Amino acid sequence: MKQASTKATTAPHFLPTSLRAAIIASSYWLLSLSLTVVSGSVASFIGCLFACYLIDIGIRHPPMKQLRSFTINLMSLSFLLLGLFLASLLTSTSLLSNLSSPMASFKTGEFIKFFAISASLTVCLRVLAQRTSYGAVIEILFVATAFVITLSAHRNGMIHRPFVIGDYALTRGIDPSSILMAFGCGAVLSLAALLMIENNHRRLPYHFTVLGLLCFSLLFYVRMFGLPTPQLTDDLGLTGQEQAGNSAQRENPFRDSENTAEDKEAPVAVVVFRDDYEPLNGSYYFRESAYSQFNGTMLDFTTRSDMDQDLIANFTNSRIEANQLPRAKDQRTPVRASIGMLISHRTPFGLESPVAYENTANPNNLRFKRTYDAYSLAPEYDFNYLLGRELGRADWSQEVWDEYLELPDDPRYTELAASLIADLKPEYANDPFAKAWAVKTYLDENGIYSLKNDHAYETDPAASFLFGDLTGYCMHFSFAATYMFRSLGIPARVGIGYSVPASNKAGGSSLLIQAVHGHAWPEIYFRDVGWVIVDPAPQQTLVDMTTDPQNSLQQLLGDMLRNDASFDDFMQSQQTSMINLLLILNTFYALVLAALLSAYTVKFYRIWIPSRAAADKQYRLSYRAMLDQLAAVGLHRKFGESREQFARRVQGVAPTMQQLTEQHLAAALGARKADRADPQKWLQLRNKIAEEISINTKTWKRVLAWLNPFSWLLSK
Amino acid sequence: MTPDSITEVTEPIPASDTEDANTPSPITAAIDVLNRLTTAVKQQVLGRDDVIELTLIALVADGHVLLEDFPGSGKTTLAKALGEAIIDDGKDSDRDEFILPFRRIQFTPDLLPSDVTGVPVFDSNSNAFHFRHGPLFAHVVLADEINRTSPKVQSAMLEAMGEKQVTVDNVTYPLDDLFFVIATQNPLDLVGTYPLPTPQLDRFLFKITMDHIDRQSELDVLDSYKKRRDLQQERITVTRDEVLFAREQIDAAVTISASVKSALVDVSRNLREDERVLQGNSTRSMVLMLPALQVAAALRGRNYVSAEDIELLLPRVLGHRIELAPGVADMNKVLLDAMRGPMEQLARGTLA
Repeated sequence: MKQASTKATTAPHFLPTSLRAAIIASSYWLLSLSLTVVSGSVASFIGCLFACYLIDIGIRHPPMKQLRSFTINLMSLSFLLLGLFLASLLTSTSLLSNLSSPMASFKTGEFIKFFAISASLTVCLRVLAQRTSYGAVIEILFVATAFVITLSAHRNGMIHRPFVIGDYALTRGIDPSSILMAFGCGAVLSLAALLMIENNHRRLPYHFTVLGLLCFSLLFYVRMFGLPTPQLTDDLGLTGQEQAGNSAQRENPFRDSENTAEDKEAPVAVVVFRDDYEPLNGSYYFRESAYSQFNGTMLDFTTRSDMDQDLIANFTNSRIEANQLPRAKDQRTPVRASIGMLISHRTPFGLESPVAYENTANPNNLRFKRTYDAYSLAPEYDFNYLLGRELGRADWSQEVWDEYLELPDDPRYTELAASLIADLKPEYANDPFAKAWAVKTYLDENGIYSLKNDHAYETDPAASFLFGDLTGYCMHFSFAATYMFRSLGIPARVGIGYSVPASNKAGGSSLLIQAVHGHAWPEIYFRDVGWVIVDPAPQQTLVDMTTDPQNSLQQLLGDMLRNDASFDDFMQSQQTSMINLLLILNTFYALVLAALLSAYTVKFYRIWIPSRAAADKQYRLSYRAMLDQLAAVGLHRKFGESREQFARRVQGVAPTMQQLTEQHLAAALGARKADRADPQKWLQLRNKIAEEISINTKTWKRVLAWLNPFSWLLSK
Repeated sequence: MTPDSITEVTEPIPASDTEDANTPSPITAAIDVLNRLTTAVKQQVLGRDDVIELTLIALVADGHVLLEDFPGSGKTTLAKALGEAIIDDGKDSDRDEFILPFRRIQFTPDLLPSDVTGVPVFDSNSNAFHFRHGPLFAHVVLADEINRTSPKVQSAMLEAMGEKQVTVDNVTYPLDDLFFVIATQNPLDLVGTYPLPTPQLDRFLFKITMDHIDRQSELDVLDSYKKRRDLQQERITVTRDEVLFAREQIDAAVTISASVKSALVDVSRNLREDERVLQGNSTRSMVLMLPALQVAAALRGRNYVSAEDIELLLPRVLGHRIELAPGVADMNKVLLDAMRGPMEQLARGTLA
């Protein structure tokens, strides 16, 4: 006990220690969430708490006081190694798993491992923080890192990361961003608290409060007005804002320096296929628009109404169909796909070749900017079908023909294209598809895919690419190919939209379109077939364009968009408890109301009944009515207290109560029944007591007494 | 009820007065006797109103009391005042001339039963044995330090208390109807005593533990000592027959309702079930208690027994009758715990 007195002077106060321990432990918990199972998380939490208290309490007392920091750290390191060894021993040997179950031994192993890790790390951190000036900074950095790492996956608008939070929120219809914001607020507050503890500024809780208010006002703002729209670098100028203030971008699709792989995983839209369709060439193409008219320097959106009549330029509220439908219907399969746009688009897009769009009800306004059904006639022909086809549409005017064949005044395109088709076998020498294939093959074999290049500021970036280093991205490839097609007399244009690998569908019916899937490709018009995509695929690439297909998000968004009965059922099943809660609440309200009504009924009945009761019941009913009135002003008999004692106790409020009690008891316990037969006397006593009560109690108390429906429950 | 009584109820006066105002009943006379007795004793004994009340209750309820007190605290004064307040007016014909108002026996270890009961003495004139009455033949007997005498004397004493008779040489002599014993014992000086066992204590209706009187009362005692001594001649008195009459009247007039009886029984049962109690109270204690309750009610001007009477008497009646388990000291707490439930039932029952 001698130690207790010294501890009071030297040891830190219990509350700051606990607060700090809780903050660091929660950051351990956060960090461990993605690394281990629940038992591991719990172990890391407990381990941290344990270490915090151990160090904070023990560091100022022997034996820990006499140890060097280095020694303590060494000991904690050996503890860590021991724990890891023990954990691996547990999971690698079959002893424990035979004794209980493999799962139990795994969980035990995780527990020991994470306990050892968090305890030893915390010991190191705490010892440094206690003994050095820089230690506290490391500790704060650690906590900050824990929060940042956990929430960093949430950047880029990935609303479902971390899964623990995302799944929890989404299945309950809560916006996960609010929860994540709350986490952020919590992190900031925790860090501020840590800093305050370290600096020992007792005045700072005031600032702390202001900080908390600011954080939560931000949260409130988000709840009220929503999150700011994520700013994506729209690779192709397609995924940008609907309001077209950025005409410069539209004029120049070649924006080399702005093309970075950053944000490439950002989800753009989700597609739910209503019909089964598997593309032959391994990619789903979604056509949004096309560059088809040469404006003197490069291809641009057409200004002619008789060109690109298969494209649908705008959203309309009703169903809108393309003016021209693709041909070769026997080689195409109708596909209906529901599309939910996560980012605003100027133009609707649909699976190649879209023929009609129809707006649908948006199942989730917070998540989808726009939802619509796209009806497409998706190609099922293979390239053999295209061999020997003629070019162009029969009803094209000469001007249209000319527009689709116009190209920069650069002879090199014609020369290169001519040289490429020179090697064709004689039987294919005049076949348009074979010529186009030769051009595509050339680009496939010689082109290098890269996002970093310097063609943008050339007069003709496509020429700079094709006759230069052949290094570029889809826009360069498609422009170069289109120019060469046109030089060969093949009507071609650059289709733009999205191209998603078929494997991303992963067997489901929903498909997530990410920013990285934005694409441009050359198209050729074959008579009786329609626009056919001939997309160069460079064999060499300098960029890794593979992304995480985010199957879970795809599934989730697809389910959300589908919004069909099964999804509703799923949500219902997840929300059963909430609905039941509502029901329970309503029942509860009804019950409370009924209870109130019946309580008032009983209350006023009991006050009223003595005036109507028979004489021989007066002693009982009158006395009860008076007990009710006294109970209403807070005076009631205690358990085991006799009636006389109670009457004496309330003498200050109602002196006549003693007399009433005597009369009541005489009637109840005595043999003579004479007193029971005089209602007038009882009435007189009642009035007197009521008068005394109203004189001796405060007005507010009497108002309360009158209102309280349950006062009579206390009188006994 | 007459209109008079309606006006009367507005002033807080005892209910019994209003009841009996227009129909004078024998109980008024009984209450008058009690009041006179109380006044008579209070003239002599100051600061002991509670003990006086209990003693009178025991007297009228045909019980005996055991006082536990220090020497010189007024036991003898109390007993003497009581004994002298009850006079024999000689109207009763079948009364025994040997009965005296008050006798005091100082118990010592060498006392013999015959010293208490009386002894047959050989009369040479009549050539026969003649019974000489002992000090038990009195209205009020003060048995001082009853635990100092041998069990033999104690048992003779207890026979007299229980049966109201003494037996000497196989001849039974009845004691007076108003035979009332005030026994005392010193709670501290226990060396050389024969403590009364629980069955013998059961004969006493009350065991009253007396505390020292308060300062003002003690001063009053010193101040009025002479006056009280001189007042001896002009005392208020009550006749023996009046006391016996009151006993009868109270028994007839004061109602004990069924709920009161069931409360008593429930308290006893609670006590017997209590783990802290080694041995509970007897059924006889309940039977003895009923008249006491009636007297207590009458003393308060009531013609029915109420919870108040039980609260007043139960600790005195049961205190010396129940044995607590080893380690349990607080008798009052045990009693209160056992009483709470039945008393609540009793209170609630009046509204049923």
